[in-house]
Amino acid sequence: MTAPALSFDMPDLGPQLAALSDAELDMLDFGVIGFDGDTVVCRYNKIESTDAGLSPQRVLGQPLFTNVAPCMNNFMVATRFEDAMEHGALLDATIDYVLTLRMRPIKVALRLIAVPDAAVRYVLVRRQK
Amino acid sequence: MDAPLAMDVDVVAEHEALLQFLYLAPVGLVQADMRGNIAMINPISAQLLMPLAPGACLNNLFDALADVAPELRHVCALFTEPSGMICEGRQIFLRQDARVRLQRGTPNVLSISLVKLDEDRLMAVISDVTEQVRRERQLKHTDAWLSAILTNISDYAIVSLDRAGVVSEWNETIARVTQFGPEVVGQPYSVFFPDGATTHERQFDRLREAEDNGWNLEEGPRMCADGTQFWGSAMISPLPDKGMLLDDEPDTAYCMILRDISDHHAANEAARSAAFSDQLTGVSNRRAFFDAAELELERRRQSPRATSLVVFDVDHLTVINERFGNNAGDQVLRELAALLRTTFREVDVVARMGGKEFAVLLPSTDLAGAFAVAERVRALVAVQPAAQDGKLINYTVSAGVAEMDEQATDLTALMARAEQAMRGAKQDGRNQVAGWHGVAPATPLAH
Repeated sequence: MTAPALSFDMPDLGPQLAALSDAELDMLDFGVIGFDGDTVVCRYNKIESTDAGLSPQRVLGQPLFTNVAPCMNNFMVATRFEDAMEHGALLDATIDYVLTLRMRPIKVALRLIAVPDAAVRYVLVRRQK
Repeated sequence: MDAPLAMDVDVVAEHEALLQFLYLAPVGLVQADMRGNIAMINPISAQLLMPLAPGACLNNLFDALADVAPELRHVCALFTEPSGMICEGRQIFLRQDARVRLQRGTPNVLSISLVKLDEDRLMAVISDVTEQVRRERQLKHTDAWLSAILTNISDYAIVSLDRAGVVSEWNETIARVTQFGPEVVGQPYSVFFPDGATTHERQFDRLREAEDNGWNLEEGPRMCADGTQFWGSAMISPLPDKGMLLDDEPDTAYCMILRDISDHHAANEAARSAAFSDQLTGVSNRRAFFDAAELELERRRQSPRATSLVVFDVDHLTVINERFGNNAGDQVLRELAALLRTTFREVDVVARMGGKEFAVLLPSTDLAGAFAVAERVRALVAVQPAAQDGKLINYTVSAGVAEMDEQATDLTALMARAEQAMRGAKQDGRNQVAGWHGVAPATPLAH
């Protein structure tokens, strides 16, 4: 199997991620967290699992903003997903953020993707150089 | 070989469970060195700190909190014990600041505790205490009421006021507490307040609030006939409507009980000052500023009047620190704070808002009036160097002045205007005061 040719900042990434299998998600060079309409995590790829130090079974099936990534539970991330859902609007934004991976502050770029009517919404994580 | 492998698996699983425990702890935890450089930080800390300084890198705890708790670095530096609790549950007020935009889901008040472990390690616990503070404030209201009734008091005066707040009758108790004789009849009750401790509008606010709530209570400086002052509480209650007045009956609408609570005040002042004053300069802290400003703006909504804000910022403080050392910068801030306190009125709220920024809210004052006082401060600063270890440190300040109007009806908007004007003063060469006069429309009207 060859790695899918997807990059962190290419346009219209939402539908393309949805088309990938879990194995293909694991081959991407950026972190992928997919979650459903109730914020329950349904996709969690390998690089994200390794960076956070958490195996997928601890994360899948858990609500994202309270049980997986509480650091994103503020107006910069969680509220934007809520607003997009409330208005049925497209959200595709990239912001600078700091994640506390293994309790160390790590500068990252977060890409927030919510496509109206899509079953899965995504937070993508790329470590800043 | 099975046994060691099984143990490894256990250790790995245990490590992962511990990691998740820290990820999900519903309180912010940070470990830093004494200069604030962060070694370990958990997700709730990022959740609470990131909105304060979007784009920041959370490398330094004091930097992350610099806009909302500039004194923390100083508080830690002052702590000379080898280890121990530096502060416990210190409240940091965030709301209605021009820089920290009020957003849905953003807390208003954070609490921070700092523990020094040793010379190299500091632990911080950060949490959102917005709801708790709201409940405490309600309790405080009740406390003030009870303490007014139950406190041991030196003496009290019973003063009758008419509908306009003018003293309508004289009696012995007025003379006992304030030394005023019968000539006080016919004067507004502000006669018992020192200059600058109240305004014409504020006098009416209290009457209206007494009308609305059944009573109004306020503590502050009071003045006797000979000009001496004491710390007093004044409780105003409306009297029941007496219907038709007889010809010889004075028109009394309110009863004011004036008490000398100087002793009680002295005992409480230390505790009050710790919670509401800036540690370095002694002026109000952000918490006290927002509390006072909120009250004044609520009164303005009830009964419109001019309200202005001045923002002062020390010019080139970094250069002063570099040339004379950090203590010099602190001394400059202390002397500026003292000057602000003596130049502005008692009724004005002087507060330290950020590292080198002060704000002053001026009730019942228009732009021109606020500008004049700000200019007086600027001119005084320019000729009064700060003194530190026998050295004189020349410094200057820039100030921005703004007044509330139909477009700026809340504190956030007013702060934004004053800060914009202040930045204009900086750009125009510093050591000056700039007023906010609005922005010309971006596009001309179509013909």
